Amino acid sequence: MMKRATLLATAITLVFGIAADARDPFEDDWLSPAPPVGPAPDPVAFVVPAGLYYVTDTYMGDVVATTGATTTYSTTTVHESTGSFARVIDTVDTGTASAFDGAAFNGRGVLSDGRALAGTYYENFVLTSDGYLPVSIVFFQDDSETRRGNSATSPSPSPSPTAVPRPTPSPSAVDTATSHGSVAAEPSFRPGITTRPVPRMLRAAIALAPDGPALASAEVLRGRLVHFWPRAFDNGVPTPIRSWRLVSAQPDLVSAASGGTEPLAAQWIRMPPAAVRWSLRFEIFTELEPTQRLEAEISISVRSPALID
Amino acid sequence: MTHDDGGTAAVTTIVMLPLLLVVLVGVLELGALRAVAYRAGAAADLATIVAVNDQDPGELVRTGTLRLAVDAAETAREYFARNLSATAPALAAGAAEIAAAADIATFAAAPSVDPRTGARYDRPTVRLIATVPVRTPGFAMVLMPGVTTIVIRSASSAR
Repeated sequence: MMKRATLLATAITLVFGIAADARDPFEDDWLSPAPPVGPAPDPVAFVVPAGLYYVTDTYMGDVVATTGATTTYSTTTVHESTGSFARVIDTVDTGTASAFDGAAFNGRGVLSDGRALAGTYYENFVLTSDGYLPVSIVFFQDDSETRRGNSATSPSPSPSPTAVPRPTPSPSAVDTATSHGSVAAEPSFRPGITTRPVPRMLRAAIALAPDGPALASAEVLRGRLVHFWPRAFDNGVPTPIRSWRLVSAQPDLVSAASGGTEPLAAQWIRMPPAAVRWSLRFEIFTELEPTQRLEAEISISVRSPALID
Repeated sequence: MTHDDGGTAAVTTIVMLPLLLVVLVGVLELGALRAVAYRAGAAADLATIVAVNDQDPGELVRTGTLRLAVDAAETAREYFARNLSATAPALAAGAAEIAAAADIATFAAAPSVDPRTGARYDRPTVRLIATVPVRTPGFAMVLMPGVTTIVIRSASSAR
């Protein structure tokens, strides 16, 4: 009889029972648990030509300057970005032949004795939805010559140097460049003006504010939510971050394992073992070099307010 | 014989009862005083911990190190008064008055030595020393001071 009554009571409880709609008053005080830190897809999935640079100096024209008996062959540029990329494909000495001779839209000049000028060949690219597409080749001349003691062949009417810039590339030169490239340039790309890459030193670091200084280490209070801002610097100048990914970390709670311009919010609840410093390691990609993987790490010391005996 | 013993017991009781009462009151008052001292000490501990938890955010961004906020001492004083107010009925002075008179010092640089206590601090520290007057009516009943002063000390740092 007792068993039947117990079974009946249990059955009634299960049938008429409803789920409790409980509310956690502290649910807002905590971040969501840390998502697993795993490999993220690359920001740019297509193939990137080796040695590619983002262009910040644009080709303007070739310059031939004469000072006394010395004639210098150089190239002028203007500091501006057209959104294109470039890479070095060959560096040649005076008189040395190159596989790219004749491929550059601005050609390769010669010295007075007929030898080809020294300089560097660059290949220019534009970034499209299909990847990096080569659009032209340009030659940056960098050479000089000095006439030997023949006043008849090297008159020097003026002591001041004279510069004779060559005309900017003609349409035919552009056509030549286009014929050597794979596709025509994007509308935003200026085919008549190609660009010169400037070697840059990209460096990534972590700061505790959007414009804060880069820090190698930081002390954080236990339980305190701290924001870590991945930052990048181009030759010391801040440059925008395209994306970041947390490679390794020990926070108890993190806002995300990857992100873009937003910071990482992290919180430590546990204290590290004695004499142990934790760290956050980031993988960072910039807008300037979307394919260049930068790493930054910040060492973390978790501290907790405590009484002193 | 029995009649004589009863008289002796009565006299003994009359003589010893005040003494027993004095002892009883003293024990009760000492217990109450100890409880108040414990609560005042906890109030000071919590105040210094709150002050240590109030770090300078600008310094953290600039250098990545924890440094006490410039108003850490005032924070400790404010919270000491708040925490002490829960014990106000047992105090012979106001909680705010006691907190205002408290000796609160911050040691932003580490290591440092407390000139008052001689203690050495290896981390930035907030130290509080307060004199707390406590009502002790039980003592007054037995012709002892009606107010007993206790000194509490507390120090905290982020470690």
